[in-house]
Amino acid sequence: MKMMQDKGWKGVWVFGDYRNYFQNRVTLQLISKGKELAAQLGTEVTVLVLGSQVHPYAMEYTAHGADAVMVVDHPSLENYQVETYVRIVSQLVESFKPEIFLAGATAFGREFFPRLAKRLNTGLSADCVALEIDAETGFLIQSTPAFGGELLADILTPKHRPQMATVHPGVFEERSHDPQATARMVYPEVDIHAEERVQLIRSKPDQSPKGGLEEAELVLVGGKGLGSKENFHMLFELARLLGGEVGATRPVILSGWTEESRLLGQTGKSVKPKVLITAGTSGAVQYTTGIQGAETVIAINRDPHAPIFKMADLGLVGDAKTVLSLLLEKLRKRL
Amino acid sequence: MNIVVCIKQVPDAPNIRVDRERMTIIRDGVESIINPLDRVALEAALDLRQKEGGTVCVLTMGPSRSEEALREAMAAGADQAILLTDPHFAGADTLATSRVIGRAISRMDPFPDLILCGRQTIDSDTGHVGPQLAEELDVPQVCGVTEIHLDGNALVVKQVSDGFQNTYRVTFPALLTVSQGLHIPRHIALGALEQAFSSARVQRWGLRELKLQPEEVGFSGSATTVLRLHRPPQKRKGEVVSGSSQTLTERLIAKLVSLSILDEDDAG
Repeated sequence: MKMMQDKGWKGVWVFGDYRNYFQNRVTLQLISKGKELAAQLGTEVTVLVLGSQVHPYAMEYTAHGADAVMVVDHPSLENYQVETYVRIVSQLVESFKPEIFLAGATAFGREFFPRLAKRLNTGLSADCVALEIDAETGFLIQSTPAFGGELLADILTPKHRPQMATVHPGVFEERSHDPQATARMVYPEVDIHAEERVQLIRSKPDQSPKGGLEEAELVLVGGKGLGSKENFHMLFELARLLGGEVGATRPVILSGWTEESRLLGQTGKSVKPKVLITAGTSGAVQYTTGIQGAETVIAINRDPHAPIFKMADLGLVGDAKTVLSLLLEKLRKRL
Repeated sequence: MNIVVCIKQVPDAPNIRVDRERMTIIRDGVESIINPLDRVALEAALDLRQKEGGTVCVLTMGPSRSEEALREAMAAGADQAILLTDPHFAGADTLATSRVIGRAISRMDPFPDLILCGRQTIDSDTGHVGPQLAEELDVPQVCGVTEIHLDGNALVVKQVSDGFQNTYRVTFPALLTVSQGLHIPRHIALGALEQAFSSARVQRWGLRELKLQPEEVGFSGSATTVLRLHRPPQKRKGEVVSGSSQTLTERLIAKLVSLSILDEDDAG
């Protein structure tokens, strides 16, 4: 087993995930958090970028605070490929020995990082919402929602290196863009041969969800407390009348009241609307991690002790379904 | 086609209660179910068996009582069930879990053509075991598939990932984790359940059968450890209002007006 007998493990690495706008934002957020962690450890942040013609990203990561950017640029890396990436990145980790390695908890991050951690025989925590360095041991404390999201678990990887974590998008703030910033560029020699067992035949933008959820100014979220699919669907009419988007908690998705692309939270989307109305949701952390970025949260729930009220700016204790139908009635009359 | 479906018994999601004093989960009175996405994986396996022939084997690692989940899967139509259980398996992280499940699958003769898992569980929610099991077995993986087709000697699968719809061709043997929407799990008839619980055979494999050492599994075979559990920080301290639905609606409208979501005229 690969224990950390030698003290050779040093540096914070961030996986440069750039395929779409949101993935790239998480990378920038992780550079910013990585700088903080690296400062405490007296080390630096390296962003690892794999792909074809990826220099614009290397420049962007430099401007956002990376101390070093490691680039593996090759035409056969044009598409993301899990096994090829695992082969290349595991070689790099074994030769450069970073002590911490972070990736965004994007769909790709969550498909690639577990396999990489297994290849390296090290620990991985999923979808972290906080990261800090333990002052005594220097270990990375990885906080992740546990037990159905009611609690946070602080996880350590005491004996294996690197300490790996995927991080929930939107929990850390990116640094501002500094065009004067410089970073060390590293071009490692690695053995590249592309994956053969999984061949990408086609890739096209997914049209199914209206991608608007993440950018909506108003988001209306319904939970299981709304009682039925019909009641949940009032949210769509309200969203249409008020100019917003509809999100859902996991129990709603599991009941088939709406499609999975509307799932908010740990395994779904994160939203940052100006106003978020959350109706009939109890407030499990697995859901609330997805709404942390909302400016104002209004919660409607029957249970006055529901945890959702602790993260609401205005909490209405009452029957969500009735309040929504009264609101709808009023709006229909006026508009 | 021989298919292995990895399932997990989990507490029924909406009923999870946490003892906030002791920071533990309250299991009393909480029903256990097969993880919902694992039911979807099982349904996909049964569908492929119907089209292509072959067998479906369900497998889980867990305490003795998780045998219930296997019997339920057999009632749904699985041909075989294997319970990986041993006191040493307790406290495993995903690294150690994938080692045990991987060892069990490697022992199968013939080696399965396809291994299916749910993309993630509703209790621990990491989504790690699928890809880590694929690595343990050295087979290709695609996570979160929404369609599976057979094309000659390969699989053609669709995946929605980070805003892209990707289509892949994957060689056998392979591991896929499935997403919601691939299949709707069938209703299990009461008679089938009764039969599965009374007479179906569930094999049990432990450390000895899998030829593993105690330090490779469970807590001691894990790379991660839980330092502590705590309540998440409370960020907002808003006002909480009670009253009739009418009062609450007026309050909501007033708030939406103050936030410029509604015009005063509209709100009447």
